Amino acid sequence: MSDGRFPIEGGCFCGAIRFRVKGPIKGVVHCHCRMCQRSGGASHMTWVTLAKADFDLLQGRITQFCSSEHGERGFCAACGTPLTFWSRHAAEDLDVTVGSFDYPEMFRPQRHIYVSSRLPWLRLDEGLPEHDTQSNGTESTN
Amino acid sequence: MSNEKHDGGCLCGAVRYEVTGPIDRIAHCHCSMCRGSAGAPVVTFFVVEASRFRFTQGTPRIYRSSRDAERRFCGTCGTQLTFASRRSPDYVDVTLASLDHPERHAPKHHVWTSAQLPWLKLDEHLPGYPEFTPTDKL
Repeated sequence: MSDGRFPIEGGCFCGAIRFRVKGPIKGVVHCHCRMCQRSGGASHMTWVTLAKADFDLLQGRITQFCSSEHGERGFCAACGTPLTFWSRHAAEDLDVTVGSFDYPEMFRPQRHIYVSSRLPWLRLDEGLPEHDTQSNGTESTN
Repeated sequence: MSNEKHDGGCLCGAVRYEVTGPIDRIAHCHCSMCRGSAGAPVVTFFVVEASRFRFTQGTPRIYRSSRDAERRFCGTCGTQLTFASRRSPDYVDVTLASLDHPERHAPKHHVWTSAQLPWLKLDEHLPGYPEFTPTDKL
């Protein structure tokens, strides 16, 4: 998905945190796990996956919350915006929330993951492939 | 008022809340401020009279997102919880997915579709409004 538009930037809602992604993007997924639903307060979370080395923090500090033994969720302590997810199970990668990018419209989702906990009333991008765990078949990275 | 109660809270459990009475005013909001605050492509809220909502545990952090509006979230885990505006002080918007059982409450419509992400195909069977929903349609 390297399309010449990198680097691209994003940040939290209040502007305290800014980041830059050098690209390329590894994937874009709708995650329906209960933890992603609740942390954003949304019906699901959409993540942009990239190499951790391609993510540069330009300004501010990301606060981490350990949501499991192997997962960390990064957010802004001043406004709460969920920003990142990192797991020991895929330590070279970093997931970034699509809504924190300055231009979220450039990241078209490719698949659904954790569909077993998808909200039953949700009809979202129904033509995309679905996976009950991670799309690459690895165990849960929540 | 009905005796029904609904509980909710943040991901880490530090902040908990309770809603008394029915949850029936539910909408997907596509505005850029909701998207930016939640990191998600869309945020689903339910609206209740402020008198029917109360925090039962913990103290959320407040971010004033505009002159009139404040958003409450958990300072420990970042979970987005509520939106309140001085323009409608008798009501509070609560994030649907912070409920313990969001599966029981289906959204009724979309608001701020003028800002909807172009790739998002979401609940297209529901009515949508370019900006706010007329109150009589809620």
